[in-house]
Amino acid sequence: MKEPVNIKGTKSGIILVLDPDMPLEDLKEAVKQKFTSARKFFGNALVALTFEGRKLTDDEKFSLAGVVSDNSDLNVVCITEENAEKEKFLEKALNDKLADLSSNTGKFYKGTLRNGQVVDFETSIIILGDVNAGAQVVSKGSIIVLGALYGNAFAGAGGSKHVFVAALNMNPTQIRIGDSIARASDSDAKSQKDTGPMIAFFENGNIYVEPINREALNDIHLD
Amino acid sequence: MGEVIVITSGKGGVGKTTTTANLGTGLAQMGKSVVLIDTDIGLRNLDVVMGLENRIVYNLVDVIEGSCRINQALIKDKRNPSLYLLPSAQTKDKTAVSPEQMSKLAEELKEKFDYILMDCPAGIEQGFKNAIAGATRALVVTTPEVSAIRDADRIIGLLDAAEIERTDLIVNRLRADMVKREEMMSSDDVVEVLGINLIGVVPDDENIVISTNKGEPLVGSDTLAGKAYMNICRRMLGEEVPMLDLYRKDGFMSKLVSKFKKKELK
Repeated sequence: MKEPVNIKGTKSGIILVLDPDMPLEDLKEAVKQKFTSARKFFGNALVALTFEGRKLTDDEKFSLAGVVSDNSDLNVVCITEENAEKEKFLEKALNDKLADLSSNTGKFYKGTLRNGQVVDFETSIIILGDVNAGAQVVSKGSIIVLGALYGNAFAGAGGSKHVFVAALNMNPTQIRIGDSIARASDSDAKSQKDTGPMIAFFENGNIYVEPINREALNDIHLD
Repeated sequence: MGEVIVITSGKGGVGKTTTTANLGTGLAQMGKSVVLIDTDIGLRNLDVVMGLENRIVYNLVDVIEGSCRINQALIKDKRNPSLYLLPSAQTKDKTAVSPEQMSKLAEELKEKFDYILMDCPAGIEQGFKNAIAGATRALVVTTPEVSAIRDADRIIGLLDAAEIERTDLIVNRLRADMVKREEMMSSDDVVEVLGINLIGVVPDDENIVISTNKGEPLVGSDTLAGKAYMNICRRMLGEEVPMLDLYRKDGFMSKLVSKFKKKELK
């Protein structure tokens, strides 16, 4: 017999395939059971939710999403439409939402990142320590290093360019903002002299690195 | 069809990476197309010695896993247009790659390059097996120290077992003054123990430290080590080149001149 509710996972979200004929209340009960029994499996990820197999009104969608989040530890960040390029669409919707979240929230990381270490954050990140050459900080938001940045910093990993990278001593190997890459110039690659506080940001197709002063800060746009 | 050569030693710190960088650069200077592959996954160095670290976007593991094309991961050298580097991944470990995948990669690169130089990690485990997988020829680097020679001997045995067609020896960091005082083994002593063809002797030269820190290989330059590396390149191409005379006694005049030069520099 065909199950009333099927769950399909995608890269960035969950698709609920619903029985087209079953009464809505029974369907909700089935959704509830599915998610309760698989609570551990799904964990507490941030997901986008999509419905398939049945025409639903917005109210019905919201109440089903409510059932999902009430009966699992998942955070439903958005509900998306069924779409031909579903996968892409879901990912973009999720990234947009995360970019939104990441520009508003941040986390602290205490410790020096050494060669080969990678930290990856959904939010902006403040590093209390140095980022050594060969280490990598990835964030969907901005990156602030309260120490020296010698390694790689990738801000706006979800595609946002309205983010920045700041460090008290700016000697990075590479800085990426969105999909743009800037690398250290070859001449001073090896001289690790203290630059003082600097900030890197994206403007007119380029990544600029400037000392932190009022003028530079005026050039920063967070949305 | 290109030739795949692994540069290996067993022991760490004897100069595999420096040798790879200099031989690759030398071969490219002689007009050959060369690709250097850093197989030391997790402890990459070759990019730093070549001064190309800041250009890395994709790496060996990305290529193997199919997350990018080979051409996207190859980094063109700063000075030699026919020299490329395939950097290693820093955040993975040796198990990210298998010997089968490495030899497939080597086969593909053979189509496009004259020489594929594999910079092997220290040790005889997975990393070593990966590095030698696609190779038909090996250069074993050792210093004139008993411990390094022991490890080189072990490596030569493993290379024979893996049916590498040709294995040559490079004696690195030789100090002529110490050999003269009989405090260090000479290259002849090393060859006597290991019993394979000696393709070159590189003297201990402080210019190497300078060049490594700068990220500019010194092959071909007017330094003893630079000349020694260039000679190895020429021998690799089949030329008959006499060994450098590292034991030459400086005459009174040349000593005077060199003292004079030093003063001038200050």
